[in-house]
Amino acid sequence: MDVRAQVAMVFHLDKCIGCHTCSVACKNVWTDRPGAEYMWWNNVETKPGTGYPTLWEDQLNYRGGWELTGKRDLRLRCQTKASSFLKLFYNPNQPGLDDYYEPWTYRDQDLFDAEAGDDQPTAVPVSQITGEVIDIKAGPNWDDDLSGSPVYAENDPNLKHLTEDERRMLFEIENIAMMYLPRICNHCANPSCVASCPSGALYKRGEDGIVLVNQDKCRGWRACVSACPYKKIYYTWKTGKSEKCILCYPRVETGQPPACFHACVGRIRYMGVLLYDADRIEEAMKAPEASLVEAQRSVLLDPDDPNVIRGAAESGVSEAFVSVAQRSPVYRYVKEWELALPLHPEFRTMPMLYYVPPLLPISGRMGDGIYEHGAEQFFSHLDKARLPLRYLAALFGAGNEDIVRTVMKKQMAVRYFKRAQDVDDIDPEQVKRILREAHLTAEQAEAIYALTALGSLENRYVMPPIQREEAIEGSGGPGCSPESCKGTCGLGAVQPPRRGA
Amino acid sequence: MVNSFFFIGLPYIAVFSLVAGSIYRFKSERFSYSALSSQFLESKKLLWGSVLWHAGIMIIFVGHLIPFLLPGLWQSLTSQPAFVVAVEVLGVAAAFTALVGLVVLFVRRILSRHIQSVTTPVDLVVLALLIVQILIGIQTAAGHRWGSMWSVQTTTPYLWSVLTLQPDLIHVDSLPPTVKLHIAVAWIIIMLVPFSRLVHAFSLPIQYLWRAPQQVIWTNARRIRHIAPVIRKAEESRRLFLKGALGLGTAGGLLTVGVMDKLVRFFSGPNMTPEEQAALLQKRLERLEMTAEERDLELERMRNDYIFVANLKELSPKDGKYFIDYQMRPALAYRDTTGLPLLISAKCTHLGCTVASSVDASGRILCPCHISYFDLKTGMPQPGSPATKPLPLLGWALMDTQGNILVSQAPDGRREGEVPADKLEASMVYIAKRYEETV
Repeated sequence: MDVRAQVAMVFHLDKCIGCHTCSVACKNVWTDRPGAEYMWWNNVETKPGTGYPTLWEDQLNYRGGWELTGKRDLRLRCQTKASSFLKLFYNPNQPGLDDYYEPWTYRDQDLFDAEAGDDQPTAVPVSQITGEVIDIKAGPNWDDDLSGSPVYAENDPNLKHLTEDERRMLFEIENIAMMYLPRICNHCANPSCVASCPSGALYKRGEDGIVLVNQDKCRGWRACVSACPYKKIYYTWKTGKSEKCILCYPRVETGQPPACFHACVGRIRYMGVLLYDADRIEEAMKAPEASLVEAQRSVLLDPDDPNVIRGAAESGVSEAFVSVAQRSPVYRYVKEWELALPLHPEFRTMPMLYYVPPLLPISGRMGDGIYEHGAEQFFSHLDKARLPLRYLAALFGAGNEDIVRTVMKKQMAVRYFKRAQDVDDIDPEQVKRILREAHLTAEQAEAIYALTALGSLENRYVMPPIQREEAIEGSGGPGCSPESCKGTCGLGAVQPPRRGA
Repeated sequence: MVNSFFFIGLPYIAVFSLVAGSIYRFKSERFSYSALSSQFLESKKLLWGSVLWHAGIMIIFVGHLIPFLLPGLWQSLTSQPAFVVAVEVLGVAAAFTALVGLVVLFVRRILSRHIQSVTTPVDLVVLALLIVQILIGIQTAAGHRWGSMWSVQTTTPYLWSVLTLQPDLIHVDSLPPTVKLHIAVAWIIIMLVPFSRLVHAFSLPIQYLWRAPQQVIWTNARRIRHIAPVIRKAEESRRLFLKGALGLGTAGGLLTVGVMDKLVRFFSGPNMTPEEQAALLQKRLERLEMTAEERDLELERMRNDYIFVANLKELSPKDGKYFIDYQMRPALAYRDTTGLPLLISAKCTHLGCTVASSVDASGRILCPCHISYFDLKTGMPQPGSPATKPLPLLGWALMDTQGNILVSQAPDGRREGEVPADKLEASMVYIAKRYEETV
């Protein structure tokens, strides 16, 4: 047993309002500079939709993630070791600028310099790459809220799991539904980007599992860009290096949640430590698609189990880290309540960002054209949900509908439970039956409600202890105090990130 | 003067720039090491440009490198006309491939506004130089045919003379101007490597071939402390394994060398100097002579009824004379106290050694191999000796000088004829065939 700690995340999609505050916070902190304008380490997509970069989920095109070969071997979909050398010169699976969008700004000075005339002066858009006036064809969140659009929503790759009828139903004007999907790097436990990097620049931090690119080692071969099935590695056209979400590790190391977490107005984001058994990842990721979610859950370890605590000590995970793991909201959602699911587990990278699927829109039941209240069945039936379960299963269950149905039942049960408590218009026996069917106790339902609806900053972000000093000691060797070894770790950017000739 | 600059001064400037500049850039501006791909901004033309250029230039590079590094091998290969034609055709094809790629890359860089935004002046200089260089190269291949053959006598020794710090212009002086230009531009390009995007060639990620797929880096001293003993153990066992493997390998290697040496020597035959051959021949001759002598004796014994042993007067009672009997065995001849001959087998009845010839004070002769004493008169071994059977006595005949048998005696002592006292001293001792057969 090789116990490792991972700073893991849960996004509660039922609470996401699609305001993009997270994206803006991230943009302002990290990617507001030449070469990175087009990057959104954090972005929020409207689903159904084609996402960013366009159709990123279509691995027939981008060939990201791992695939299971006939001999039950895990191999990168994008390359073998030999073919990676051919792809140095031209990578056929790399998304280009058009798959994102051409970043632009406005020539605001024109507003002031324009000569007097009959028309209002305008600030024309100019490309941030060439400086030329451009005709904007796409931009960040170009398909925002455009569910039902034949250009975007109807081309969602996940819709191929739906029947023709279901697709038609979904896009009928009265039934149109959508959800928001905020995405950052998943900091996977089995990252395909790390495995694909020819230079060995990508690595996973042992202490907290954050996946980073060593900018000094990156040679711009771009294998990671196509290998990441979530397209969360971006090529900086200006410096010729790849960049990705760093989970704001300088903030995490000082006990602050990442910028996007901190900025989230819907309080949908949770961060905590998960312990997992690194020795069992490979076997788990070889599971058949339908059982991938369960396999991934089985790799996660119970931080209260004495064996796990002993194993953690043997593997060098500190007691402080274990005690943080014991209070982890992520462990509650993912393992204890089994409410949060990985996004596209079929990519087999074991993402460490989990989503609670949205139970939407949750409406009163319609009967005979009348909106019914207080009826026997208060909420509409799951199978009549506007977003079909099969669609959610394509996103969060590798096609396994049962997994998503269980999650939905639990969420529904919590609502019945609280409705009965607060409004008292549902038969208590019915509530008990629903809880039983959802495999929840009243205490669990109460706890889920508390963490979901009331969670404070301290409950939502249970941060690992500060490791900066330890990291400095570790990197500087014995006798290296944080004072004397300043600059030997941390961001490590001792050279200006200038483009080479 | 111009020659000295371009072929002695420039090369050293270029090599110094390449080595020192690349290392300095790696040490101080590591971030700037990148392939600087622009596929993100434009990919359709890059596909043709980059793939054709790289495929072509890698073939050309190898084709230039082998004659330089392995001139001997190259020369033996180019001694076959078919190889030369194949190499030249491949080279020119590769050159055109690279040229097409370069032109596409150049045009793309000039025409695309997106690519212009990531283009530096050095990029354009390098691209232009490379195009010029390939054109000169093609011109060389066309105008001065079979460069794969003449380069071994001209440019290869020149490059080696530069490399070994003994620059020698003699190899390049007489070359045509096109070739000289090709060499000079090459030095300029090499000089520019550390100041251009060409440094990415040093980044070829060979280590990816054997690297583990996942990379985890720990900065935490605690983990390092915990894992260190495990690593140490693993390293120790690895070291033991390596040591063992090395030992076994060495032993096996030595054994194989030995066996192979013997096998090779056996099958290829001895490799000798004339002196050794003469000595061997001499030895063989001696052996043949000895065999011939033996055959002579055998033949003599087959043909004759009597074989001469000695003149009687030469024999003594104290020291025997060796001779070979009819069975081709050693035997001893004495003269006994009565003045008559005494012949006895000298082949010890114990294990067949030859018995010594001298008689001791008690009238015994000795087999020196295992100390068996035999009584000379009877041939009986002394009790306690390893030999238990007596040495057989042999029969004899005395002849006068005319060949008349005077007297003879069988092994059992029966005597024929009288001993002529007067002729005794002049008589000769023979052994007789008829007595031997009865033994």
